[in-house]
Amino acid sequence: MTNLWPELKPMARRRFMSLSLQGAVALAVSPAMVKNLLAGEDRSRLEISPGLLQKTIATALKRGGNLAEVYVENRVSRSIILEEGQFKSAVFGLIRGAGVRVIDGDKTGYAYSDELTEEKLQRAAEVASFIASSGKKTQAVSIKEQRRPSYVTVKIPLEEVAETKRMEIMKRAEEAALSYDSRIKMASIDYYDETRDRIIANSEGLLLKSSLPLIFFIVQTLATGNNTSHLGRERLSRHAGLEMFDQDTPEKAAKEAARESIAMLEAKEAPAGKMDVVIQNGWGGVLVHEAVGHPLEADNIAKQTGAFVGKLGQKVAADIFTMVDDGSLTGFRGTTDFDDEGTQMKRNVLIERGVVVRFMTDILSARQLKMERTGNGRRENFRYYPVPRMTNTFIEQGKDKPEDIIASTKSGLYVQSLSGGSVDPTTGMFNFTCREAYLIENGRKTAAVKGATLIGSCLDIITRIDAIGNDLAFGPGICGKGQSAEVTAGQPTVRIRGINVGGTRARG
Amino acid sequence: MDYKDLAEQVIKDCLKKGAEQAEVYLEDNRQLSLEVRNGQVESIQEAQSYGLGIRVIAGKRLGFAFVNDFKPESLKKSIDRAVEFARAVSPDENNQLPADPALTEIKAIYDPELSAISIDRKISLIQEVEKLALNIPGVTKSAGASYGESESQIIIANSFNWVKSYKSTGCGYGLGVIAEKGQQKSAGYESASRRFFADLKPATDLAGVAARKAVEMLDPKPLKTQRAAIILDPDVAYAILGGFIQAINGQSVLQGASFLGKKAGQKIGSELITIIDDGTREKGLASAPFDGEGVPTQNRIIVENGVLKGFLYNTYAGRRAGVKSTGNASRGGFADLPGIGPHNFYLAAGQVRPEDIIQNTSRGVLVKEVTGYGINPVNGNFSGGASGFFIENGKIAFPVKGITIAGTADEIFNGIDLIGNDLDLNRSLTAPTIRIKSLQIGGE
Repeated sequence: MTNLWPELKPMARRRFMSLSLQGAVALAVSPAMVKNLLAGEDRSRLEISPGLLQKTIATALKRGGNLAEVYVENRVSRSIILEEGQFKSAVFGLIRGAGVRVIDGDKTGYAYSDELTEEKLQRAAEVASFIASSGKKTQAVSIKEQRRPSYVTVKIPLEEVAETKRMEIMKRAEEAALSYDSRIKMASIDYYDETRDRIIANSEGLLLKSSLPLIFFIVQTLATGNNTSHLGRERLSRHAGLEMFDQDTPEKAAKEAARESIAMLEAKEAPAGKMDVVIQNGWGGVLVHEAVGHPLEADNIAKQTGAFVGKLGQKVAADIFTMVDDGSLTGFRGTTDFDDEGTQMKRNVLIERGVVVRFMTDILSARQLKMERTGNGRRENFRYYPVPRMTNTFIEQGKDKPEDIIASTKSGLYVQSLSGGSVDPTTGMFNFTCREAYLIENGRKTAAVKGATLIGSCLDIITRIDAIGNDLAFGPGICGKGQSAEVTAGQPTVRIRGINVGGTRARG
Repeated sequence: MDYKDLAEQVIKDCLKKGAEQAEVYLEDNRQLSLEVRNGQVESIQEAQSYGLGIRVIAGKRLGFAFVNDFKPESLKKSIDRAVEFARAVSPDENNQLPADPALTEIKAIYDPELSAISIDRKISLIQEVEKLALNIPGVTKSAGASYGESESQIIIANSFNWVKSYKSTGCGYGLGVIAEKGQQKSAGYESASRRFFADLKPATDLAGVAARKAVEMLDPKPLKTQRAAIILDPDVAYAILGGFIQAINGQSVLQGASFLGKKAGQKIGSELITIIDDGTREKGLASAPFDGEGVPTQNRIIVENGVLKGFLYNTYAGRRAGVKSTGNASRGGFADLPGIGPHNFYLAAGQVRPEDIIQNTSRGVLVKEVTGYGINPVNGNFSGGASGFFIENGKIAFPVKGITIAGTADEIFNGIDLIGNDLDLNRSLTAPTIRIKSLQIGGE
C-alpha cells in the first residue's frame, strides 16, 4: 500500500532485490575490531572527517529545521548461486554513499549522493534544506564520537573467508537436499553475505560508527511426484561471521526444505471457510508481525490513520497475549546495536497482557507523538530516509503445551509454515499464504492441504487468540514497506479461534 | 570521463585481465519524490545516482561485480573480483553475450520537459488531488498524496564491439483516502503513471476513483462460503497475470518449475484468451529499444485464442532451450544479473462492456481487490484474500470484505467465459474485466 506507482522502475538496487536480501543491522564491535574490519582487503576504508560531517549538518540547517543528519554507508557483498548442480554465478558488490536529512516540524527533506566528496555532500545538504520553512532555527551541537554496547559478535570474519569455503557450505546443503528423497528433483542454494559500515552524525551532537556482517542462506527444493510439484524453502540468517553454520548447519536447512517439499506432494485441496487455526512456533510469528506489528508502527499513529489510533492503554487482546519488539537479541537478523538514526536498541513491550502499551517510533514520529525513541528508525540503504520498522518481533512465551493445544482443537487447520503476507495498516486487513498446512480432525493433525490463505483484520484477530504455547522460536525474513528491512518473527505455538481460510473446496 | 568511454575502458580492462567476453551495464538515474498530507508538504526527496555492473565470461564461466564508485581503484577492484569469481564457478556452455548490434525503434519514452517542470507545480498537483478527494462526501481523512518521477539513461556495451544507450522518463502520482463510519474504516487508493508529464490523468479523475473506492466499501455484509462466478476488475489483473508471467519464464520452464512447462503449442484455456508481450509500444511504460542485455525488443503473442505460443527467454536460457533470445532479459538495475521478465504485458480486450458482464451474472463476486501471491507458478493453483461486491441477478447487491477465492489453473483459464472491452494500455501489466465461470469462495 505504500508503493503508489509500482510501474515506475525504481532506482537500481543491489542484486537479489527479488529476494530482498538487504542488509541492515549493526555489529557493534570493539573499536579495534571496527578498524580491523574496515581495513579488510575489499573495503576501501569508510572514512569521512568529523569536520566535513559538521559542515554538512550546518549547511542542511541553514534554512531552519529541528534536526539535520548525515548517514554514510559502505556495503561490500557477495552472492553465489548453486542450482541444478552448478555454481551458476558469483557476484561481488561495492556500494557506498551518503544521505542528508532535515526534519522541520512534520516535514522531511532528503537527498543522497554516491560520492562522498565535500562538493556532493554540500549539494545534498542544500537540496535537503529546502524543506525547511518554519523559520525555526536550531543550533547544531558539536559532534562527538560515542561508543555503544554491541549485540553482535563475530568469530570468523567474512573478509577472512575464501570463496571456496562459502561454496563448500552450499555444496553440503545441496547434497543433503538431493539425498533426502529421490523425488527431490532440484535444489537451489542462494548464499549472500555482506558487511555494512555505517557512520551516523546529527545536529544533536551524535557521531556513531559501526560495521556489521550479515549472512543470508536460502535452500529451495523442488519435489515432483503424485502429478504435482512443490517448492520447499528454508532460510538461515544471522548477523554473524561464518561460524553461523556451526549451529545452523546447511544440512539441517536442506533437510527441512526437502521434508516440506515431499510432505506437500501428498497435499489435498484446502478447505474454505471460517475455522480454528493452530500456527506452529517460529516464523509463523510473521502473522502477528503483519497483522499487529505494522499497525503498531508509530508513523500510522502520528498520521492518525492507523488501526491502533486511540488504542494506547486499551485492552485489545486476552491476558495471555504479550507482544514484544526487541532489536537487541544477540546476532538475530533483526538486531542492531543502534538503529539507522543512532538510537540505542532495546526490548520494547508493545502489547502487555492484552493492553497496548507502546508504539514503535523513529525520531520523527517520536517527536510528533511526544513519545520515547524506541530504536525502530531503519532504512534499506543510504538512498532511503528512515521510517519506523520492526526488528525482532514476537509473541511472548505462554504456558500451554503445544500438543495440548492441538489435542483441544476439535477441527481446524494446523499451519506449519507461512510464506508471507501483507497488511493495510489503515484498515488492519491482512492476508497470508500457507506454505505447509494440515487438517486438524478430532484433536489430531491429519492430511496435508495446499493452497490455503488466511485473512482477517488485526483488531479482530488478536481477540481470538486463546492458547499460547511454551515453545517460543524464531525465523528470519524480509519485510517490505516501500523499502526492505531484515527482520525476525517469532512466536510459540498459537491458536486462533475462527479465522477465515481460503481453500479450493467447500468444507466437507 | 564520458560514460560510453568509461564502459569501453572497463571492457578492455576485463579482457586484459583474462575475460573472453565482457559487458558493462551502466545506469544513471535522477529521482524526485514528493509527499503531501492535509495540504502540507511532508517530504521532498531528490537525488542523482549511478552505478555499473560488470559481467564477464571466462572459460564459459560467469562472474559479475557491481560498483557505484567510479574511482579507478574501485573499478579495478570490481573488475578483478568479477574475473576471479568467474574462475570459481562452474563452466556452462550457454554462457554467452549477445552479438546483435541492432536496436528496435521506440517512440516517445523520454520526456525532455520533465525535469524543467517546477517542483511547485508537481506539489500543487498532489495538493489539488488530495483536496478534491477530501471534498467528496463520505471521505473523512487523507492517507496522503504523492508524486514520483525518474529520468534515466541506460548504457550497455559488450566485447562484440557495440555500445547501445537510451534515455527514458517516468512520472506518476497517486493518493490514499479514508472513509469512516462509526467504527468502520475503509481505505481507497488510486494512482497513474506515464512517460510524459502532460499525459498524466487529471486530478479530478484520480480523486474521484480513490474516494469512490473508499466509500463504496462501507457497510459490507458477510458472505456464505460458496461456489460462484468471479468477475475480476482490471485493477486486479496482476492476480492472474503475475503468476502466469513466472510460469512462462523460460528459465523456470527449463527447471521444471512451471505448470505451463509442457504446454507449448497446446490449448491452456478458453479461446477468448489472447496474451501479448509488447516491448515496442509507443509511450509504453515498459517499452525500450533493447532488453537488459542489449537484445532488441519485440512485440510477441504469448497466447493466441487459448493456445500457448511460446515462453520468454534471455540469451542464456534461450541457448539452453535451443532458441533465440526473445528480448526478455530483465534487469532490476546495475547491481543485478540479467533475469527474465515481460515488457508491456496484457490480456487482449474482448467485446463485452464491463456493465454487461455484471448484468449477465446471476450470482457472483465482482472482485476489486486481491491480496496474496496470485497464481502459484509451479502448480497453477490460485488462492487469495479478496474484497468487492456481491452480484445477484445481474445487479450489484452489497460490498463484501474479508472473503477468499481459490481455484486451480484449469478452473481459472478454462473458466474464463467473458472478456471486457475496457483494456487500459497505459499500464504495463494489464487486463480488461474478465469473468471466470465458477470458483470457490470462502466466507462465513
